[in-house]
Amino acid sequence: MKFEVMVGNKAVAHAARLARVKFVSSFPITPQTTIVQYLADMIAKGELDAEYVTMEGELSCQSSAMTAATTVRSFTATSGPGLLYMHHPMHMTTWARLPLVMAIIHRSTKGMQPDQMDMMSQRDTGWLMLECQNAQELLDTGIMSFKIAEDKRVRLPLIFAGDGYILSYTSEPVELPDQEEVDKFLPEYKRPYPMFPEEVEEAQALLGEMWSGSVDPQYVWQKQQEAAMNAKTVIKEVNAEFQKQFGRSYGNGLVEEYKCEDVDAVLVAMGTIASTAKTAIDQLQEEGKRIGLVAIKSFKPFPSEEFQRIAEYSKAMGIIDRNISTGTDGGITFTEIRHSLYELDERPKTLNFYAGLRGKEVRVIHLKQMAEKTLKAARGEKVSPIVEWA
Amino acid sequence: MMSRPVPLAHLKEKEHIQPANSACQGCAGSIVARIVSKVIGENMVRQEVACCGPAFGNMTQPAFYGEVFEGAGAMMTGFARAFNKLGRDDIRVTGIIGDGGSIDIGFQGLSAAAERNEDMLWICYDNEAYMNTGGQRSSATTKYASTTTTPIGKYSRGKGEHKKPLPLLVGLHNVPFVATASVAYPEDFIGKLEYAKPIKGFRFIQVSAPCPTGWRFDPRFSVKVAKEMVLSGLWPLYEVVNGDLKITYKPKELKPVKDVLQSQGRFRHMTDQEVEDVQEHVYSFWNRLLEKDRGPLL
Repeated sequence: MKFEVMVGNKAVAHAARLARVKFVSSFPITPQTTIVQYLADMIAKGELDAEYVTMEGELSCQSSAMTAATTVRSFTATSGPGLLYMHHPMHMTTWARLPLVMAIIHRSTKGMQPDQMDMMSQRDTGWLMLECQNAQELLDTGIMSFKIAEDKRVRLPLIFAGDGYILSYTSEPVELPDQEEVDKFLPEYKRPYPMFPEEVEEAQALLGEMWSGSVDPQYVWQKQQEAAMNAKTVIKEVNAEFQKQFGRSYGNGLVEEYKCEDVDAVLVAMGTIASTAKTAIDQLQEEGKRIGLVAIKSFKPFPSEEFQRIAEYSKAMGIIDRNISTGTDGGITFTEIRHSLYELDERPKTLNFYAGLRGKEVRVIHLKQMAEKTLKAARGEKVSPIVEWA
Repeated sequence: MMSRPVPLAHLKEKEHIQPANSACQGCAGSIVARIVSKVIGENMVRQEVACCGPAFGNMTQPAFYGEVFEGAGAMMTGFARAFNKLGRDDIRVTGIIGDGGSIDIGFQGLSAAAERNEDMLWICYDNEAYMNTGGQRSSATTKYASTTTTPIGKYSRGKGEHKKPLPLLVGLHNVPFVATASVAYPEDFIGKLEYAKPIKGFRFIQVSAPCPTGWRFDPRFSVKVAKEMVLSGLWPLYEVVNGDLKITYKPKELKPVKDVLQSQGRFRHMTDQEVEDVQEHVYSFWNRLLEKDRGPLL
C-alpha cells in the first residue's frame, strides 16, 4: 500500500490494472481519454498483461469488450457522446449476461462539460450503475465493480462513473492498494459464457434460453430484473468486505448517509455534488441547522428500501439532480425517490433542484440555499415551487 | 503462393448444419454455410449478425448471435483476442455475414478489423440485398435491380448505382488473404477456404449466393444462375494474396450479361440500353482485372 497524488482518470486505470483485466478496448474521447492512455502505458511497461485493442469507435469498443468478456475479464471506458454511441451493443451485453465493467467519465450529451445525461440515457439498458465522488472512490469502486458484476447472483455488466474534469483531471492523494491484497479480494475471472468448441452443447442451451426464453418471451427481462435486484444485497456485501480488507467503504454500498444523526431533513445528491454538499452540511450543522446528506452511491439498482428507511427520520428531502428527463416534472433521482416513498403511510416532503447540468457550477452557497428551503419544508411551512432550476 | 482448387470429393462427409432449417428453397447462402462449416471443422466459433444466417445457420459449432448488425468486425475481434489471451488461438473465429453486415452497416468494423489484421475469417455470403427483411437494396445490389426499396415505376428504373467492389477495397488493407468465390465453383471455393484456414490474420472471402426469393427465379436454378454470373463476368473469381491479385478462373470469352439478367425477375424490366450499361461496366471491370492479374493491386 502506498499513497500517490493522481488524477481521477489514473485512479480508474489503476483499478483496471489491479483487477488484472485481460482485455482493454480503447478509443479517445474527452474527458475519458487519459484512462486508456494510462492503461496503454502500463501494458507497454509490463505492469499489466492484457490484450489492448485500439478500436475505430466506441460502438466497436463496446462490442469487442462484450464478446471478450465471454472468456476473459474485460474493461473499457468512455464519456458522453461515446457512451451514446455504445447504446446498441450495451443492450446485447445485458442480454448475454456478460459481467463487463466500464468506467464512465461524465460528459454532457450537449457540450463538453459534465452532467449525468450520458449515463441516464443508458438507464434502461439493464447495466448496473455506481457513482463516485472522488479519485479514491473511483479506484475502490472500480475494484469492487468486478466483484459485484461477476457474482453469480448478479452476472450483469456494470458502469462505475465519476464527473469529467472535476474528477478526471483533478489531482488528489489516493491510497493505492497492493496487488496481493486485491488478489485476495477479487477472485480470478470465471468464464461466464461457454464459447469453446468443446462446450457447444452448453452454448446452444444458453442461446436457446436467450432467444426463446423457454416459453415466455418476457423471461429474459424477468431474469435480468431478478439479477439487478439481487445486486442490492451483493453490493452491500462487497462494500462490507472491502471495508474489512482495505479499511474503506462507501456508506452501506448503496447510499452514504453523511451526518444524518439527529436531523429533520436531508439533501440528496449523487457524484461530486454530494462531495461539495458535505462542506455545506458541515457549515450548516455548525450553525445548528438539523440537516444531513444522503449520497446516492448505487443508481442501478436503485436503493428504494434505503430511502424508505431514511424517510423515518427525515421530514423533508431536498433532491438534487444533475440530469433531466424532459417532459417529466422533476429530475430522474427525484422521480425514483418519490416512487420509492409512495407506499409509506407517512411520506416526507420532497423538493427537487436541477443543478450542474452542462457543467454549471454548483457551489457551497447554492447547496446551503437548497438546504434552507428543504428545512423550511421540514418545518411544515409552504414552499414553492417543488421543482426548481438552481 | 496462391490457392488451388480442391476436388469436391475431398470435402468431409460429416455435416455441421442441423437437418431442418428455415431457409428458403434454393438458398445458396445455406450452401455457403455448409461448405464453410465442413472445411473449417469443429474447432470454429461462429459470429452471426442480423442476416439470413439465423435461418440456415443452425450448426453444431458454437455461435454468438450478436444482435448488433454493425458489430461483426468488433465482436470477432473480442473473441479472437480473448481466445489468444487464454492460449486458445487454435479456435478459428469465423463470421458468416451477409452483404449488408459487411458492405454497408458493417463496413466500418470490417475495415477496422482488417486494418488491425485481426485473426479472423470473414465469409460474406452475397445475395445482393437485405433478403432477410424482404429484399431491400444494399450497396452490393447490381445496378437496375428492382428491390423493395428500389421498385420499378414511372419515376424509378430500379437501383441507380453499380455494385460496390468490396473485395478490392478489403484487398487494399494489406491483409494476408482476400478472395471472391461462388457456390457454382465449389472446388475453387474450398481451395480458397483451405488456403485461408491456417493463416493467422484477417482473411475475407465474398461468395456469390443467388437468392431465388429476392432475385425472382426458379429455386432449382440457384447454382446455374451463380455459374452464369461467373461466365458472364458479373461475378469474377479472383483473390488478393498479400496485395497481389490473381484471377482464379478465366472464361475464354465472357458471355453476354443479357441472358443471365433476363433469367431473373428483378432485371426483367431492363431496356436494351440499360443492359448495355451493365455490359459496359462488366467489360471495363473485367479488363481492369486482367490488367492487374498476377501483379500488385495497387
